[in-house]
Amino acid sequence: MMIIMKATATKEEVENVHQRIKDLELQPHQISGAERNVIGVVGDGRPVEVTAFIRLPGVASVIPISKPYKLASREFFPENTLIPIGDNHVVGNGTPTIIGGPCAVESREQILEIAQSVKEAGAHALRGGAFKPRTSPYSFQGMGEDGLKLLAEARDLTGLPIVTEVTAPELVPLVADYAEVLQIGARNMQNYALLKAVGETQRTILLKRGMSATISDLLMAAEYILAKGNQNVILCERGIRTFETATRNTTDINAIPVLQAHTHLPVILDPSHSTGHWEYVSALARSGIAAGADGIVVEVHPNPALALSDGAQSLKPKRFKRLVKQVNAISNALKAEDISTNPLQ
Amino acid sequence: MMIIMRLGASKEEVKNVVARVKSFDLDAHLSDGSERTVIGVVGDGRPVDKNLFIRLPGVDNILPISKPYKLASREFYPADSLVPIGEHKVGNGSKVIIAGPCAVESREQLMETAKAVKAAGAHALRGGAFKPRTSPYSFQGMGEDGLKLLAEARDLTGLPIVTEIISPELVPLVASYADVLQIGARNMQNYSLLKAAGLTDRTILLKRGMSATISDFLMAAEYILSKGNQNVILCERGIRTFETATRNTTDINAIPVLKSLTHLPVMLDPSHSTGDWRFVASLARSGIAAGADGLIIEVHPDPSNALSDGAQSLKPQRFATLVEDVNAIAEVLKERNIVPVPIQ
Repeated sequence: MMIIMKATATKEEVENVHQRIKDLELQPHQISGAERNVIGVVGDGRPVEVTAFIRLPGVASVIPISKPYKLASREFFPENTLIPIGDNHVVGNGTPTIIGGPCAVESREQILEIAQSVKEAGAHALRGGAFKPRTSPYSFQGMGEDGLKLLAEARDLTGLPIVTEVTAPELVPLVADYAEVLQIGARNMQNYALLKAVGETQRTILLKRGMSATISDLLMAAEYILAKGNQNVILCERGIRTFETATRNTTDINAIPVLQAHTHLPVILDPSHSTGHWEYVSALARSGIAAGADGIVVEVHPNPALALSDGAQSLKPKRFKRLVKQVNAISNALKAEDISTNPLQ
Repeated sequence: MMIIMRLGASKEEVKNVVARVKSFDLDAHLSDGSERTVIGVVGDGRPVDKNLFIRLPGVDNILPISKPYKLASREFYPADSLVPIGEHKVGNGSKVIIAGPCAVESREQLMETAKAVKAAGAHALRGGAFKPRTSPYSFQGMGEDGLKLLAEARDLTGLPIVTEIISPELVPLVASYADVLQIGARNMQNYSLLKAAGLTDRTILLKRGMSATISDFLMAAEYILSKGNQNVILCERGIRTFETATRNTTDINAIPVLKSLTHLPVMLDPSHSTGDWRFVASLARSGIAAGADGLIIEVHPDPSNALSDGAQSLKPQRFATLVEDVNAIAEVLKERNIVPVPIQ
């Protein structure tokens, strides 16, 4: 990191900063400018906290140089990591992974009907929430373990692996019993107890970006899971909060190539939450794949008008089927042009 | 619009609001809920200002129902407008590519870039002669000398010229050289500039302000349209958010949203919306896949020594690859007859 001294800093203050750096077994490199001094801190790759220097007399600001995440970084693992979903599918191998299903499991008929139709449309996994983190405590909170049982039944019926959300650390063993992929939702991206708990399982984790999390925050959340020993993490952009109100969220499409450049983990897009309107979901799904996403997770419901949650953004099965074809056609065009998902290649 | 009365608003207050509504030759439709009263204001399509009602006693809130723009709206003009750039028409799935340097820096730089982008397949040449820079100490552009060089580049390559106008009094001068007048993000709500652009017959490339909502953006277009100039192209170029990994956050949602709300063509500027040359090609592909009618891209023969926007400028060779990639995506959309916004 670089320590920028105030223009008025005294010689003693500069020396004091040097001493502090040496006390931490790091090397100071002094750059004396015409107006002010800058001190470079050279270490051995261990993370150094800004707070170790920021309150020393004469210090104007401290600028980190190294990235705060390590296991998630492409600098440390240059190759794309392939992450399994179930026994027969991997994410990140250049063919888009399609996860489809309802926002929430509502009934046996609903989940089995959707499971069959998303399977038929070409999905690789079934999503569906049994434990729902809803903004309002009065909204439908999910079917709980009964929902998990229905998801398992849908898997038996279709062979599709199950992606479902886990909302609290104590639920992790229960949900992991039923599901192949544990989803951490946007609202829980910085629920560190939950991140640690899923890091101790060997399930694949689908980590969604928090709605006001920077890309660096998202990678630090992934780092929590990786640091606990679980290497199977998929990142998911799902729109961030901005001043724009025409859509539910603002899709940070930049995040797709930026993440692909910074991390070896697969990156997928959720075009349903990132727009909040079914009309725009297909356009966003195409744009995500064209930008280099490794897959998409899309909400599908046989009767969106009567859905208990997210009806506005859910696609009917027929439209989902068309979306899958479009997305695969875009992906084939990328392959034909030899376009890598990693913008640095 | 809907006027929402406060809980416990008195009968007299409701009556007073209804009288006020009628005084403007509008109809009031009362719905008495179990908790509160809502008054629907029904008019003849003329815009109604909510300020006429918001301060009346007993009024809690006012919800507009109609859109505040009219000429820009697809409700009024359902078909896609086709807007000319030279001999090309932008709109309805055209994939028109505008490319060139951020700023005109010298004859050599501009002629070299113009020839390179033409060879790569660009349809128009961009280049700023009057530059709105964040810092007053940064290069401000070559002014009219830059415009002359742009005209020379057009003569050399046949590419129509897209260049920025930054104040109303410059409009006639710039319009005498350029085919397309660009209004930059910083001037999206410079209303005197919008009106001046609206009085010309040049095509206007209107960029979205960095903190403008989609509705603000369409209202800015409405200013130009209302002055009689129907040739407006909208351009998403990234908005300001909390994310700092990129220069701006591309609001890719804006592409299909705009295509559904307006008949005007919509383009994407992947250079400004990322600020980083490494991500420009990904964004260009994603914009076309989302249904954009075209792209505007910064290209410089020597980005390391560019006087502005070097970080986001592509070298000509990389731009040529981008054009091929984008055409491959456009081909997929065409083959499958994919429209930007589906109907139910």
